[in-house]
Amino acid sequence: MITFSGTVKRYPNGFEALRGVTLTIEKGEMVAITGHSGAGKSTLLKLAAGIELASQGSVLVSNQNLSQIREAGLAVLRQNLGMVFQDHKLLFDRSVFENVSLPLSIAAFPRAEVGKRVRAALDKVGLLNREKAQPITLSGGEQQRLCIARAIVNRPAILIADEPTGNLDQAYAATIMDLFKSFNQVGVTVLLSTHDEIGLARLNCRRIHLDQGKLVV
Amino acid sequence: MIDSWLSAHLQAAKRALKRLVATPVASLLSVLVIGVAIMLPLGLYSVFANITAAASRLNTEPNVNVYLQVAATDAEAKETEKRLKALPNANDVRFISREVALAEMRRVANMTDLLAGLESNPLPHAFLIKPKSAEPSALDGMRKEIAALPKVDTVVMDFEWAKKLKRFAIFAERIVVLLGLVLALAVVFVTGNTIRLQILTQKDEIEVSRLIGATKRFIRRPFLYYGACQGFLAGVVAILAMTALITWASAEVQALTVSYASDFAIKYLSPLQILAVIGIGTILGWLGGFLSVSLYLRVYTSR
Repeated sequence: MITFSGTVKRYPNGFEALRGVTLTIEKGEMVAITGHSGAGKSTLLKLAAGIELASQGSVLVSNQNLSQIREAGLAVLRQNLGMVFQDHKLLFDRSVFENVSLPLSIAAFPRAEVGKRVRAALDKVGLLNREKAQPITLSGGEQQRLCIARAIVNRPAILIADEPTGNLDQAYAATIMDLFKSFNQVGVTVLLSTHDEIGLARLNCRRIHLDQGKLVV
Repeated sequence: MIDSWLSAHLQAAKRALKRLVATPVASLLSVLVIGVAIMLPLGLYSVFANITAAASRLNTEPNVNVYLQVAATDAEAKETEKRLKALPNANDVRFISREVALAEMRRVANMTDLLAGLESNPLPHAFLIKPKSAEPSALDGMRKEIAALPKVDTVVMDFEWAKKLKRFAIFAERIVVLLGLVLALAVVFVTGNTIRLQILTQKDEIEVSRLIGATKRFIRRPFLYYGACQGFLAGVVAILAMTALITWASAEVQALTVSYASDFAIKYLSPLQILAVIGIGTILGWLGGFLSVSLYLRVYTSR
């Protein structure tokens, strides 16, 4: 489903965030990327989402080489990916409902379907009663769950999450990890980066460790 | 498929209207600036269209008017007519008797009361000559020959200014087109700049939308509607202001033309012209939005 082949990511200042990573993530698999800050975890996830391009080697997602994909193709690919960002990337001038419905608006879903899917996603993350609230009024954990609701509302085949429990206390982190586990159990491929050892123990999934841009076996 | 497409456009249009209403003062100022930019060439067009219409009513054919002395008799007029017809540059010579001239004056100038008070006809016999050649040298020679004839009082050749006016109207029309193009660019830039400011306030939304799969077309769409809305409203403002201006000017011009016994009146914009102005305003606003957001997407957004 996701394949990195000799992938190198070099930034314009010469810094190599990834150094020849070769890795395959199978369909329906759940993989956790671990490593210290600056090890290349976020870069790896950005490459998988097509946010960054590989400097060398290739990244294939659903058999599409992201270095060669056109703008429209990349947009369609992203519509089928669920992205959970470390900094949430929520729109604070819109309600909870509107934030979650954004991917559906982009994919031009009919209005009736939008309502159903948004409420189902909010229900899944336990925010159904907050649909009219503004994101600024939510706690950190709730904002993270809102971000997850937005990522799953399109019912994506792949879920990519960058430090989804980064700023949360243990109780909240456990809830979030349980959510990812439940998505994976229904066949969603999950790729996430984390520092959270306790959370990882709950996930019981394949772990990949990165150190200075290299895979450590 | 059509339902989704329509729904996407409706959503974009709604979003654009919301943005327009969310900042009423800024939106109003932008619409007024664009409206003035549209109104300038429109006003000039209106002025010159009316001048052209007035010029087209003027006789620019080279006619020569010959007025005899008031004391000239009918027999002397006949003699003069013969001599005028014998002139080498005379193509057609028409005699206008003093009686015909008086009757014409009564009809056109509506001066019945004034003329009724006269004891005798004050108008002279006259001739209207159409020359063969309109060359200045030929006409000048002709004037001298006519002026030398006995009983001739005045020779008038007053078509040159009308010709100049017509030439000026054509020149002015070109200036209006040029100015229209320059101000159309101004409309595009003003709209583009307003939308650039809108883009900056929506930067986060654009970035998030791109990350979760929005195409450039999807991101561009509400800004295009926003620009088109501004252009449409500016077109309406320009039309309303122009109509008010024409109404005001009409009253002034009418007072002037009555004293000259003319039925000339300033023309209002036709329904087709109104539609064209609003349509062009909408298209220019759309274009401004397109250029602004395309430039932003090309320069600032990541992949």
